[in-house]
Amino acid sequence: MSLFWIVIRQLAEIEAMTDLLQAMSKKVITREEWEKKLNDVKIRKEDMNKLVMNFLVTEGYVEAAEKFRMESGTEHIDLATITDRMAVKKAVQCGNVEDAIEKVNDLNPEILDTNPQLFFHLQQQRLIELIRNGKVEEALEFAQEELAPRGEENQSFLEELERTVALLAFEDVSNCPVGELLDMSQRLKTASEVNAAILTSQSHEKDPKLPSLLKMLIWAQNQLDKKAAYPRINDLSTAKLEDPSV
Amino acid sequence: MPSSVSPATSASRPSTDLVARLSSSDLQVQLKALRDIKNQIIGNRTKKLTFIKLGAVPAVASVLADAFDAASCCASSSDLVVQSAAALGSFACGVDAGVRAVIDAGALPYFVRLLSSSDEKVVDSGARSLKMIYQSKLAPKYDFSEKVNMDFLLSLLNSENENVNGLGAGIITHSCETSAEQKVLCDNGVLLKLIDFLEGSISQRDASLESLASVMKDNTEVTSKFVEYEGGRALNLLVKLTSERSTRTRLLACACLIIIRNVSPGYLKGKGIETKLICYLLELLEEPGQVGDEASFTLSSFIEDKEDLQKLAFDANAIDLLCTHLQKDLLQPQRLEGILLALAHICSRLEVCRAKLLPMQAFDSVNDALRHDCADVRAAACMCMRSVSRSVQNLSAGFFMNEKIVLPLLQLLHDPTLSVQLAALRAISNIVVDFRTRKSSFVRWGGVKQLVQLSMSMNPSIRSNSLWALKNLTFDADNKCKEGVYGELTASSLASLIGDPEPPVQEQALALVRNLIDGSLDSVQYVFAEDSIVLDAVGRQLQRASTAEVGMQGMYVLCNVASGGEVHKDAVMDQLLRDTKNSSSPFITQFLQSNDSRLRTASVWVVVNLTTPSCRGVSSRIGKLRNAGIISQLKNMVNDPCLDVKLRVRTILGQYMTFGDS
Repeated sequence: MSLFWIVIRQLAEIEAMTDLLQAMSKKVITREEWEKKLNDVKIRKEDMNKLVMNFLVTEGYVEAAEKFRMESGTEHIDLATITDRMAVKKAVQCGNVEDAIEKVNDLNPEILDTNPQLFFHLQQQRLIELIRNGKVEEALEFAQEELAPRGEENQSFLEELERTVALLAFEDVSNCPVGELLDMSQRLKTASEVNAAILTSQSHEKDPKLPSLLKMLIWAQNQLDKKAAYPRINDLSTAKLEDPSV
Repeated sequence: MPSSVSPATSASRPSTDLVARLSSSDLQVQLKALRDIKNQIIGNRTKKLTFIKLGAVPAVASVLADAFDAASCCASSSDLVVQSAAALGSFACGVDAGVRAVIDAGALPYFVRLLSSSDEKVVDSGARSLKMIYQSKLAPKYDFSEKVNMDFLLSLLNSENENVNGLGAGIITHSCETSAEQKVLCDNGVLLKLIDFLEGSISQRDASLESLASVMKDNTEVTSKFVEYEGGRALNLLVKLTSERSTRTRLLACACLIIIRNVSPGYLKGKGIETKLICYLLELLEEPGQVGDEASFTLSSFIEDKEDLQKLAFDANAIDLLCTHLQKDLLQPQRLEGILLALAHICSRLEVCRAKLLPMQAFDSVNDALRHDCADVRAAACMCMRSVSRSVQNLSAGFFMNEKIVLPLLQLLHDPTLSVQLAALRAISNIVVDFRTRKSSFVRWGGVKQLVQLSMSMNPSIRSNSLWALKNLTFDADNKCKEGVYGELTASSLASLIGDPEPPVQEQALALVRNLIDGSLDSVQYVFAEDSIVLDAVGRQLQRASTAEVGMQGMYVLCNVASGGEVHKDAVMDQLLRDTKNSSSPFITQFLQSNDSRLRTASVWVVVNLTTPSCRGVSSRIGKLRNAGIISQLKNMVNDPCLDVKLRVRTILGQYMTFGDS
């Protein structure tokens, strides 16, 4: 049985159990009893498939999504849009910000026009890449021509702008106080922001459902802990049921 | 894929050069130039303005026109169409000059034609660009009453393409203003279509929320249709949307519910929605960008003039939250304006709110905002000051009459923006009521001079509001203050203001005189100075009073004068019995017959004072009153519905009886 299946059933069972135990004092449920109850929980395969597809699509695993569609028959949105979106994300992750901007504008020119914060972060990333490549003069010119106006148009960007420009003041950029801007994590942050904006513009939820489901499981288990001792899933990656401590 | 990041070189490619390339005969060159321009301007307001100045918009528009005409025969032309439409749309996005330029370049009809293309990308580009245009006030007004227009609109709403749906909704949001327009839209099934969209995709839903607000606004019929739709299903949907993930959806849903509530509070009663709305809006204040900016304005529109909602907001800790935001660094002007406005509204009626705000450190920020660069912020700060200065408690304590607060307000009396001037005047009007009679400070700071100057303004609102401030200043003021005001104003100005063409100005001028002569007997001299120029002006104005308020203030002036000695009472008699050319009955008789009880009350008080038994000459005055038919008029009023009037009439008739019919 798949881990996923176990997790989902666990969640459903816990929710049912918590309701039941409203009025009772702490109860102990043995593994045997628990597994029996789990077996009675009905989960539809289609729902699970949709969750998986939702995850693959939102995260941008195009080929996996296509293969999954072929093998499970689960529908998804037009793959071309996923491909486009992934190309943008990848461009940012590689530091090719100008390319990413062009792609976003081809996809939907409204996105950057209506998302000043995102646009600023992309321009900021461009500046960071210039500094990373040691192109100091170009960086200065860029900061003056492209970023300074953003700060003028919107004062809330000024602080971040100052931080970024501070990079130019240091000889050894990787060791300066704002050095974290040069990290891969900054690129990933920007890439994630663009990804979310594209998803929203395509009228999709920008976060996959699966993580929420897992969070729900953890929360539900914590709730039930107050009322009962029962087999818990402590390691989400294995979905192993651990015996209740008596 | 290595790519040398060299934004500097493409940014420094002369923009004029790029614009010139748009007219190249080589389509590839054109396309590249288009894409370059498009990619430079998207998101970049400064660049948009630069290119607009270089005449890029008409150049791009002609590329669109040529490409469109050629589109059927040339595949690459559709690229040109899409790119040029996108560029034009971007020029129009949030930039007024861009919208104007795009409209002037004749691009709109082309956008419309793009909508019927078989190429989805072309349709998208046309729809998006038109949508941008319709987000601006400068877009042409859409006439819903024309059948062909309505059919077109419906086709947009019924399209499979979400961008096209969004365009339809955008047109409604832009152009639906009057109740007739709301009705014709509703009659054509638009309301139902919009309700459908609430369950559609995110973009359909958000666009629909905005449109619904404009279709339902202040319209009982349409709103009730919405509320009653399928037993309240649409309303429930709307309430659910207030807890959606997307902050923009939440804000729009709140705005919609507020519109419904403003039509009838009953629609939302008993569901605790009102408190929830306030809490949601207060949460949304945290959001960056447009959503956070607008949240405070939406909150203001909710609580404006509604004491019960202001109390709910107070209980929900709104003042603390707003003050926390107020003290943040680097607030965008729009956001600052919104917060100040919200504070102004929440403190407009409730003393608890004012009492909470005034001692807070954030109040300093309100004070500072009086000197902000942006006119709207200054106006909002003044409104806030006006609200808090309604606090009788603090006026009594002399809280406001200090340099820190008054000097910036006096500065604003000369503000280049009219709305700021008016807002400052209103705040000052409250502050000068100062009960601790520190009015001399106000005079010392040049306040009287400025107010008197403004009373000569070309603008009637400025005139009446400055007189209002002077009136409040002279309320219960000492002689020195009154002399100061009178001296600065001069009798002749006062007389001409009493005779001003605008009734509100006349009213305030008369009320000012009333306050001037109130109090000690000496003050009465003000109306007699310079050959009774002021008293004459009062009498003249009363003869042609066009509003009850003017009549009332004038009568109270006469009343105050008539509380003096024989000379004063006789002077009032003369005014009452002025020869008139048009009517044979004195104005007081007409006033006594007025439907407005305040006017009747003021008028009978004059007669009470004129017929005081202890004063010399009373019998001759009574004789004159009788001859003028005033006594018989009063006899008809012994059972006046207004108690004040009834009692005074009986007093007068009692006094009359003492002297008997002669």
